[in-house]
Amino acid sequence: MNIKIKRQRYPGAESYWQTFVYTGSPENTVAGVLDELNYKDDITDINGEAAPRISWECSCLQGVCGACAMVINGKPALACETFVKDCRGETMTIEPLHKFPVIADLVVDRSVIQKNLRESGSYIKQYMNPEPEEYEHQYSTARCLKCGLCLEICPNYADGSRFYGEVFANDCYAIASKSGKDEVMTEAYDKHFAAGCSKSLSCMDVCPMRIPTLASMAKLNRGLKGGSGK
Amino acid sequence: MTTVAIVGSGISGLSTAVSLAEKGIRSVVLSPFPSERSQSVMAAGGINAVDEHDPLDSIEAHIEDTLSGGRYLAGYDAVKGLCSAAPGIIAQLERAGTVFTRNAQGGIDRRAFGGQRYKRTCYSGTATGKQIVSALVMACRRYEALGLIERRQWSDFHSALIKDGHCYGILVFDESTRELYPLYADAVVMAAGGQNALFGKTTGSTVCDGYAAGRLFMQGADLKNLEFIQYHPTTLETPQKKMLVSEAARGEGGRLFYEKAGRRIYFMEERYGDKGNLMPRDVISREMAGISEQVYLDVSFLGKDIIEHRLPEVQELCRKYRGIDITEEPIPVTPSVHFFMGGLAVDLNHETNIRELFAVGECASIYHGANRLGGNSLLAALYSGHTAAEAIAGRSYTGTHPDLTAYVSSEQEKLSQSFASESRFPVMYIRDLLAEHMQKQLGIVREKETLLDGIRDIEFYLDSVDRIHYDSSVLAYFNYSLKGLLVLAKATLLCAEARRESRGAHNRSDYPEEDPQMNCATIISYEDGAYRIHYDREGRYEH
Ligand SMILES: Cc1cc2nc3c(=O)[nH]c(=O)nc-3n(C[C@H](O)[C@H](O)[C@H](O)COP(=O)(O)OP(=O)(O)OC[C@H]3O[C@@H](n4cnc5c(N)ncnc54)[C@H](O)[C@@H]3O)c2cc1C
Ligand code: FES
Repeated sequence: MNIKIKRQRYPGAESYWQTFVYTGSPENTVAGVLDELNYKDDITDINGEAAPRISWECSCLQGVCGACAMVINGKPALACETFVKDCRGETMTIEPLHKFPVIADLVVDRSVIQKNLRESGSYIKQYMNPEPEEYEHQYSTARCLKCGLCLEICPNYADGSRFYGEVFANDCYAIASKSGKDEVMTEAYDKHFAAGCSKSLSCMDVCPMRIPTLASMAKLNRGLKGGSGK
Repeated sequence: MTTVAIVGSGISGLSTAVSLAEKGIRSVVLSPFPSERSQSVMAAGGINAVDEHDPLDSIEAHIEDTLSGGRYLAGYDAVKGLCSAAPGIIAQLERAGTVFTRNAQGGIDRRAFGGQRYKRTCYSGTATGKQIVSALVMACRRYEALGLIERRQWSDFHSALIKDGHCYGILVFDESTRELYPLYADAVVMAAGGQNALFGKTTGSTVCDGYAAGRLFMQGADLKNLEFIQYHPTTLETPQKKMLVSEAARGEGGRLFYEKAGRRIYFMEERYGDKGNLMPRDVISREMAGISEQVYLDVSFLGKDIIEHRLPEVQELCRKYRGIDITEEPIPVTPSVHFFMGGLAVDLNHETNIRELFAVGECASIYHGANRLGGNSLLAALYSGHTAAEAIAGRSYTGTHPDLTAYVSSEQEKLSQSFASESRFPVMYIRDLLAEHMQKQLGIVREKETLLDGIRDIEFYLDSVDRIHYDSSVLAYFNYSLKGLLVLAKATLLCAEARRESRGAHNRSDYPEEDPQMNCATIISYEDGAYRIHYDREGRYEH
């Protein structure tokens, strides 16, 4: 199989495409493919030209840390849980997430996610025991990987300067359901999420943790104003 | 104002930062990637804490299980501190917003884990570590708003700023600007995780590599118990790595067996009775090392309901990566490197032998002795952060430091010279070779000849490491970290060769018995290229 990768040596450099040949197992994941291409004494592309090693980010290699988010055959996905056997066609294309600045090749700088959460004061101001019926959804939202796949697919998210995306809505819910009334968060949610979301809900399709964001939105819109205080 | 530099943003780094901030102390938390990518998020199984309402269990029992699981190498006082603090730590995590799984009475549910007499492992669905990280990150944001915590990404540890046995800060390499800069601090806390990269791919994160321990060792920090490397008995082989099949699977009743002449041999039960499948990890891995047939872990008899409710992550992992339906068929398992009991030697305050240099979490060696119990390392990561913060808060600092500019500029110069020596010499390839050697020479069972071979192999690479040119096609960090890793690898092999007995995770085919004279920690130190080993019979670090 041919693996066509969008490459960029360093921040701000020109990007270019380079194709490699993968002959390994179809049971492998895209992460395994990148590993196999990289860890040879020398790496060469389809034309036999020497190529620099492919930069990409990984940590857990089992779909629980969000490091390896990228665009595979046009679809935002985690490389470590996308299998070669599930990719149709002779060529697989791999690109970095488009909505974040590229550091090198497939590595992008997603720090805007953290910045927005930090600057909007996304934390529990005063803890209150949550209602037991909220446990399940709280657990679910706390699984968010902050991987950026939902932002990549979202038609409303641009660069995080105004609209903060699904990742923000879920943290807003987590805070609201565990704390007392929080005007700052309510305002931030309205301004940086509710006002911009057109409910395409494509975010839920690509979320590797399958977080039901719609439930977060519904709960917040119903005016979840805090825990029981018990 | 006191400033603390924390290297690493997993659970132990976050725990330190939040504890310091609660005491009004400012910290800068440095790591290449955010906490969501740390190994801590991978911990699925749980965290140990005695249920104070359990009439059978007690703190004393938790202490005894921890000490005996570690084959009595850990210190009683250290372990007592850890176990006594556990119930309070769980309560604190809840207040920070961690959602633990509940029992029918609405209390926190507890499950059985290996090497423990009672059910004391609290868990949060299938993602205990992740749930704790999410709660601690949120707590961090609170203190970020108050200016008490600053988190910096793309930041790699380079080395410590040390003079006359006192640490004054660190040199940080910023991968986004490619700058090496000094960060002066009143105290430094290392929270950089385990030494995974020595073995290539382990069950854990590829980001944990052990470089920080290797480099600090070269700068005078003592390392401890390096030979004790935990092989987890149940991992699933996939083309990309060996994935952990959580101990919860055996906790729920899973049975280990192999097949001979069409018959299932439940080897752990045959040898150790009813609780055989829940023996500590070192015991099971050692048994498995002697079995040539494929070993399986069977949970299918538990039924769909229990599997779907109690072990969904195991079910999903096996289905996704190997197409195995665990409700129908057994899981083929093999042991794999999983945890490092060894690391930076620290005292009860978590301070190393270098003043104001602390170490917490998996990169510190304390509490686990010769073998760690499942569920004790999340606990240790949290407790060690609290303890180091407490010690720092109890001191007064002047905020001054000696002139270290000569060291800073010489390291900056060395790095920029290496940047200029562009070549495509495969640094990553040498990392791979290192891992291959370590896998071969530091397996579950070791012997003198292979260990000596290993030492010679590593020395060969060490001889040429300073002449290796810069490989610009990988991160600068991979280039400058190679020597620290090789030094750490050699130190580990030397410790394994020197300990001529079998204890916990360290098994010698040429010395198969435990030697009562050796129930003390191994300490290794480095001076001008010489490695020195001694045994801590006085309990200098842990007592
Ligand atoms: C699959 C798996 C399951 C587990 N399950 C359990 C369990 O159920 N219960 C339990 O108690 N334990 C479990 N463990 C063990 C436990 O997860 C770890 O021991 C613990 O999380 C370690 O936390 P830490 O903060 O010390 O390190 P980590 O979480 O590994 O964090 C290390 C940090 O250091 C940073 N870092 C590394 N090198 C550098 C450098 N050179 N410069 C700057 N920063 C650096 C990393 O980026 C990261 O932020 C499990 C481990 C694995 C692998
Ligand atoms: S490497 Fe962690 S999600 Fe892929």
